[in-house]
Parts: sequence; C-alpha cells; structure tokens
Amino acid sequence: MALNKSKRKKKKFVPPGLMLTSMMDMFTIILIFLLFSFSENPEKIDLDKDLELPRSSSKAEYSEGVKLLLSKKELRLNDELIATVSGNEITGLADDAMETSALYQRLKTYKADEAKPEGESSQAPHVLFLCDRSHSFKTINRVIKTAGLAGYPNFQFAVLEGE
Amino acid sequence: MARLGRLRKQSEENTELNMVPIMNMFMVLIPFLLMSAAFYNIKAVNTSIPVHSNAPALNTPVEKEIKITVVLELKADEVRISALSDQAEPKALAEMETTLTRPPGGDMSIVALAEFLRKIKMRYPASDTLLLIPDENVLYREIIQAMDCVRGPESGTLFPNVVLSGSLG
Repeated sequence: MALNKSKRKKKKFVPPGLMLTSMMDMFTIILIFLLFSFSENPEKIDLDKDLELPRSSSKAEYSEGVKLLLSKKELRLNDELIATVSGNEITGLADDAMETSALYQRLKTYKADEAKPEGESSQAPHVLFLCDRSHSFKTINRVIKTAGLAGYPNFQFAVLEGE
Repeated sequence: MARLGRLRKQSEENTELNMVPIMNMFMVLIPFLLMSAAFYNIKAVNTSIPVHSNAPALNTPVEKEIKITVVLELKADEVRISALSDQAEPKALAEMETTLTRPPGGDMSIVALAEFLRKIKMRYPASDTLLLIPDENVLYREIIQAMDCVRGPESGTLFPNVVLSGSLG
C-alpha cells in the first residue's frame, strides 16, 4: 500500500490540455456574422424604444448636421431635451408662437455658431431629422417650420433601409 | 526499418495544431468588428421647405426645357395632383390635374401615382421639383412612402427635389 503511494507521488505532472475546438467554432461563427454586418460608417445614432423610424427605399447616406429627434415622448436637439411630447402636442411649441419657442432659440444659437467668414465654402447647413413613424404631419410641420424660420430649410429625414 | 517506423509513429503522435495564435487573432478581430458593425442601416431622404426667394423668373419657353412644379396634395382618402409653372401654357397645366383615390389609413395606390408622374416627367423632362402638401392627419410613414414614390423606383428618376409644405389654405 505504502509502495503504491510513493509510486503515485513520483508520477510526472501533466498539465491538462485545453479543448479549444468548440471555442474556435464559436469564434468563427461570431467573426462571420460581424464581417457581414461590417460598415464603414458605423451608426452614431442611438435609437431608443420610443423612436421607430419609417422604412424607405432611399439609398442616400446621411451626413452630419444638427440632429433633431422627435420621439413619441420627447423633442431633442443634439441630445439636449427641448420639450416633451404628448400625443400630437409638443409643450411650448404652438403654431402662433414658434419664434418664442425654446427650439427656435436653440436653433438660432446653433446657426450663429455655424456662421463662417465670407469666402469660406461650406456645405449648406441642414437638419438631420429623426422622427417617429406614428407622428402626424400636424406635429412634424410645427417642428420643421420652426427649423425653417431659424434658418434651416434643408432637411435629411432619417429612415431605415428597406421597403 | 523498425526504428524508422517507430520514429514516424512518434512524430505523428506529437503533431498538434497550436490554436493559441489563432485565438489571439480572433480576440483582436472581434472587438474591432463589433465597433464597426452596423446593426441597423440608417439612410436619408433629402427634402426642404419653401423659402422666400428674390431670384428673377427664368424665361426659357423651349418645350423640352420648360420646368414645371408638380403639386401633390396627400389627403386621408385621396391624392390630388396638379402643376404650377410660369413657363407652360395654363391649358397644358390644367390637363395635368387629377385625383387618385387611396384607401383610408391604408397604403397609397403607388402604381397609379408613379405612372401618372412618369407621364408628366416624359412631357417635361427638365422638371425635377415636386411640392408635397400632406393633410394634418397624414402620418409620417405615409409621407415617407409618398416621397419614395415621387422620387421614382431608382431614386431620382422622377422628381428628386421634394419640397414639403403645409396646407396653403
């Protein structure tokens, strides 16, 4: 018995070999999936659950601009909360008081900051408008009219690719 | 001979792929690809709203160069089409007026609308602007759908410049 114990003690320690095959399989699948969803222009826009963009057949890429987001509950300008939305109403944005609204004031500030010295060529300023698909034109019109009054008549409506 | 066979057997037993460098490469590639992955494809629909302009009116009465502005009034149950131009004959503009029905709250009759717009485009190929006037209760997704239709199947073949406006009345 004692002899057996001493024999066992003398046995050389063999490190256990890691089974990497299954891990390699998993990584290969992940790699292929990620290669398919690779994009040169990764999204810098976070879509929250209150914002469902409409689908469109448009293939045009969006460009950086003033980001105006109208979700089911909020109106945000470059991630800054401007007003809350309930149904078709945006707080503080009435048809007859667009030029006194917080949105107009903030857009005017952006417009003043964007102003460049004469002779310097620059792309026409535009608003990248992300709007929930369920809003009516009545609500949208107030927002885009206010932006137009503040000096942003050009828009890019953000949409999801697909019919 | 027996020794050679033993040696070959030994070398076959020792052959084992070293996966560690491949794993290292995967560990670098995966975070990189995760950062540049797009899980939703956002595209843009270019549009504008009407603005005051002091530009003088153009005087080019050549038939093929006449530019007209198509006006599309998007209502809950119908689509009204008309045209505006200071270069075309009023009679020719009146010929372009039509009304297409659409099921309430449902999808537009895209085929009929696209066909009608294609006829206008063939008659006035220099025209590229369409004034879209939706009703107050028309939903944003319906407006985008209408914009897709008026731009044409391959974006830009019909009226690529869509101007969005509220009702003038």
